[in-house]
Amino acid sequence: MIEAISLVGQSSGHAGTLMNSSEELIARARRGDDEAFRLIFDRYGRPIISFIYDMVGRRDLAEELTQETFVRAYKNLKALRDDTKLSTWLFGIAKNVARESLRYKHRETDKVGIDDDRVIEISDAKLPPDRELLDKELNGVIRDALGALDEDKRLVFTLKIFQQRSYEEIAEITGSSIPKLKTDLHRARAEMRRRIRPYLGAGYEV
Amino acid sequence: MKCEEYQTLIEEYADGMLDERAADRVTSHIAACADCAYFYKELDREQELFSRYQRDVEVTPVIWASIESRIREERAKRPTGIVSRLREQLAGIFAAPRLSPAFAAVLVMIAIGLTVFVMSRLNSTQAPDQVATNNPSNPPGVSSSAPPKSPAPPQPEPKPEGIENTERKPRIVPPRKQPSNTALTPAQLVQEAEQKYLTAIAMLSRDMNKRRSQLDPMMLARFDASLAEIDRTIKETRQVVKGNPDDPIALQYLLAAYSKKVDVLREMTNNNNDTNN
Repeated sequence: MIEAISLVGQSSGHAGTLMNSSEELIARARRGDDEAFRLIFDRYGRPIISFIYDMVGRRDLAEELTQETFVRAYKNLKALRDDTKLSTWLFGIAKNVARESLRYKHRETDKVGIDDDRVIEISDAKLPPDRELLDKELNGVIRDALGALDEDKRLVFTLKIFQQRSYEEIAEITGSSIPKLKTDLHRARAEMRRRIRPYLGAGYEV
Repeated sequence: MKCEEYQTLIEEYADGMLDERAADRVTSHIAACADCAYFYKELDREQELFSRYQRDVEVTPVIWASIESRIREERAKRPTGIVSRLREQLAGIFAAPRLSPAFAAVLVMIAIGLTVFVMSRLNSTQAPDQVATNNPSNPPGVSSSAPPKSPAPPQPEPKPEGIENTERKPRIVPPRKQPSNTALTPAQLVQEAEQKYLTAIAMLSRDMNKRRSQLDPMMLARFDASLAEIDRTIKETRQVVKGNPDDPIALQYLLAAYSKKVDVLREMTNNNNDTNN
């Protein structure tokens, strides 16, 4: 499995490693090559931090938990059985880290659940013409709607819709059966649909 | 099938998760049903909206700097060399079979018990003789020099070779290690434990070979893979022990690997019994 890596914003020192398979990087990292582990971070850092952010809803916490995810990955690199599943494995660690944080820190006050009245208000209001503003507003609505989903649904929804993982991969990451995750995903979609419905109308061309 | 049921299928269709036959059924239904066609279109628009979702979060160099710093700290804590490699390998093996929670619990208990036992024995054989012999105030059971199975009776000071019994003058003898016939060395200890494990392994293997055909093929393959990996670890660990017979960590891992093999074989047998019941 050869994956090209993005070099945007990286030093020229990485140019020689334009094409590195995950397996090669893992093998090198296991031998203590820090540069290889850095490349793994470069490749998966963005999807992992996005995923964690979707789960916990806070930037500072997402950054902290992303660090924790990669440190745990480094410590346990030798326990990775199938090198072709590095990405699934990393998401699994990130899921555990995010869940632990949600479970133990009880950040109930930080959760920004969407208020149904607000949906109605948006739906009744005339949408502003400026696309940028609208996108900004939509971002807020999606973030709040995600925060209002229960943890299992949010997990499955994020992995499927934002990270485009297959059902099999989601089952591996979450430890859920495929029928359960399909049910969770269906319900999560329905809830999200209800909350973003105002933006699906004719006044908001996509 | 009702439209509600079709909606779940339409979502799977949009996710590209349906096989060809199911996908054909869905497209035929969408072509014939206005409500489901609308649902499908709405799903498409939702996906478009979600694809434009932008998060207030970025991968910054600070994040990598923190990770790198923690990795360095982590590395500094790790023991170096082959022992470290073995430790990690063994840790991997313990994670490998993922058989049952009960089995995992047993493994952990055995590993802990084994570690405590071997380390206490190793500590006892490595304890300075001075402490044990020159400190009579040690209460019984506290002295670290007495192996639990074969307590060494007080031995008379052996006479150096070449000196006859006729020489009765008191002599100043420099403190030296007292030879002990009863205290086991780490290598002897391991040899003893190894023999026991090998006997148990031979018995269990014999039993298992008779019943292999009755075991679920997939389960059997997993067990065989685990056993192969354990055998490899045993082989490698034995080489380390051979070169470094007093290394307590290497000895500890060797015994843990044997213990693991016994447990996997036992689990295979139990699994076989469960299948037959």
